[in-house]
Amino acid sequence: MEWAWLIPVFSFAAAPIIVVFGRLLPTKGALLSILAIGGGFAVFWFVLDSWMGAGAATSGCFTSENTEMLTCNYERSWFNAGLVGAAGSVSLHWGILIDPLTIAMLGLVTFVALMVQIYSMSYMHGDARFGWYFAVHSLFAASMLTLVLADNFLLLYVAWELVGICSYLLIGFWHERPQAREAAKKAFIVTRIGDVGLLVGILLIWRDVGSFSMLDAFEAVRTGAMSEGVATASAILLFLGAMGKSAQIPFHVWLPDAMEGPTPVSALIHAATMVVAGVYLVARTFPIFQAYDADPLLVVSIVGLVTALGAATIALVATDLKRILAYSTISHLGLMMLSLGAFGYSAAIFHMMAHGFSKALLFLGAGSVLHSTEFQETGEMGGLRKVMPLTAIVFSIGALSLGGIPILAGFWSKDEILIAVNDHRNVSFIILTLVTAGLSALYMGRAMFLVFFGELKAQNEHVHDAPLAMALPMAVLAVLALGFGLISFNWPGDFGGIGTFVFFGHSESFHFKAWLGAVSIVIAVVAFIFTYRIYAQKSISVDDLRSRNIELVKLWENKYYFDEVYQWIIDRVVLVFSRFIAFFDRAVVNDILVNGPADVTRKFGIALRVHVSGHVYSYTLVMAIGSVGLGIFVWLRVV
Amino acid sequence: MVDLVWFQLLSAVLFVIGLYGVMARRSAVLIIMSIELMLNAVNINLIAAASHMEGVGKFSNFDGQLVAIFIITVAAAEVGLALAIILRMFRNKSTVNVDEINLMKW
Repeated sequence: MEWAWLIPVFSFAAAPIIVVFGRLLPTKGALLSILAIGGGFAVFWFVLDSWMGAGAATSGCFTSENTEMLTCNYERSWFNAGLVGAAGSVSLHWGILIDPLTIAMLGLVTFVALMVQIYSMSYMHGDARFGWYFAVHSLFAASMLTLVLADNFLLLYVAWELVGICSYLLIGFWHERPQAREAAKKAFIVTRIGDVGLLVGILLIWRDVGSFSMLDAFEAVRTGAMSEGVATASAILLFLGAMGKSAQIPFHVWLPDAMEGPTPVSALIHAATMVVAGVYLVARTFPIFQAYDADPLLVVSIVGLVTALGAATIALVATDLKRILAYSTISHLGLMMLSLGAFGYSAAIFHMMAHGFSKALLFLGAGSVLHSTEFQETGEMGGLRKVMPLTAIVFSIGALSLGGIPILAGFWSKDEILIAVNDHRNVSFIILTLVTAGLSALYMGRAMFLVFFGELKAQNEHVHDAPLAMALPMAVLAVLALGFGLISFNWPGDFGGIGTFVFFGHSESFHFKAWLGAVSIVIAVVAFIFTYRIYAQKSISVDDLRSRNIELVKLWENKYYFDEVYQWIIDRVVLVFSRFIAFFDRAVVNDILVNGPADVTRKFGIALRVHVSGHVYSYTLVMAIGSVGLGIFVWLRVV
Repeated sequence: MVDLVWFQLLSAVLFVIGLYGVMARRSAVLIIMSIELMLNAVNINLIAAASHMEGVGKFSNFDGQLVAIFIITVAAAEVGLALAIILRMFRNKSTVNVDEINLMKW
């Protein structure tokens, strides 16, 4: 298990090799990248197996007092830093922390990255920067794996920023397009705003605990060494970082724009890396969140609920296929946050994985559609199931799973979230969560029926289905989206469902509230039938519905005016303030403080240089007078 | 024995003549000659003072003579160096007038 650090190292090593020697390698390095992440996936199984076989007696392992999960920690000294103004030195370690949360994330990230990379070999074929794509892809996966393995906040922060820069590079991969450049910058800057909170939170914890180690911080919270104020403040600050990365309202604006990147990148960002990092961070630092009165968790659940509901409504009216999926991701990330906020720790991680597989599948399906039709607008599609049946089937599986149709993965995980919200939050939360679930089914049904059902347009008749390299990952993911929910059950034997694997405080075996399950099934089924009648049969007029709720639809189509408000703030507040700062810098700092002394010196020098006449006799005269003066001076002193 | 003050007077006159020459002449060669004059004025002063030292016997103390010989040696070296500089100066600017040697002036 202590060899788990190898998982990211493979991909970290692959990235520079592909950049430097990419042209010499077979398939320009794509194969190396796939082998690296495949190696990581293989090691994941060894880690899982050895964790299963480990006990509290295994070296480095113990049962965490916080989570009650078997946790293994292996660390090595990194460096000692003497800090100015602080007594003693700070010794830093880098190490790995392995508990079921880490293992779940390792599995999700390596598997989805592997699938996406296999898919990309075909999708990106012929691209001018094919090798570079795989290099960054490797680095991206490696950073995310480091992030989930890190046992201290500093390493986590480094990996966190690496994830950010890789997403910047991949979103702006086609940087010839101005929108791609803008989207990349937007993604980087918006998440950076949240990252400031994360950094301050980490420093606050370090200030209080005196160590960057997560286990030390959790221990300090548990024993009460960390005061309530510090715990609450640092939890909120950490959550700010998580909000940026996980695109929670009001930081969600970067994610829909990130659709400018290649579609497999979207699949990776949405399913395995980047956005789930925020959810992972909250889950990882859960002891800090739930300390004392667990006030931060209320904030988490409210932000999650608002995000889930807001993004779902926007997804309902978006017309770009990838943007529908993007808003759907934001909505589901909101659900995960809501679940964490409602103490649904297992449910959130379960949903993260179920959503990860389904969303990766949906994006790969969407990528297959875009690859063949070269359209992104759903208005240009329709009836595609006749020409690309495989894509239609796998996309439908993903959509039904996320929409919450029973037996599929998304249903079970969403059900767990509903139970958590029902148990720990008041009635308005559960109602709004059910509304979100209904909306989720509505927009998923809409996307599915708009694209694959109805009339086939003449322009799409030549379209072909996905080639094998693209079809294979989709098929594998489809199987998972179908059957992944089964791991939540209490199977006979050792494995008692995901609730007994990943949990916080106490293990939860599978439970199912009949009325809640029934309500969510009814909502999902009704929503899918409704969208089928609207978009596939066209027996209910869209225009009629639209004109009846025109104000609401307008609000949704304009995405609640978030971008406009931000633009206004940037133009009217940030830029005005910046201009003032720039003026201050030029007028005061530059002209007075920097050029001022220089001016004085120069003027003084101009006045002084008059004596340098170049006439030898004047120098001699001065020297003679000086000597005489000196002589008189010495003589007076002596006498 | 001639009184020491006469020697000192001679030395002072020579020194002032040398100083005037350094200040008033334009030609570098003449300036060097004036400097030589000043050095020799100092030499006279030193030797006169040494020979008038009160001691156990005559010339019991050779400090003055020693310093004078040092000055002669250093002066010879200095003249050699200065004349070489003046020669180069003349090669470059075709003049030894120090007023026209003003590259270092602002």
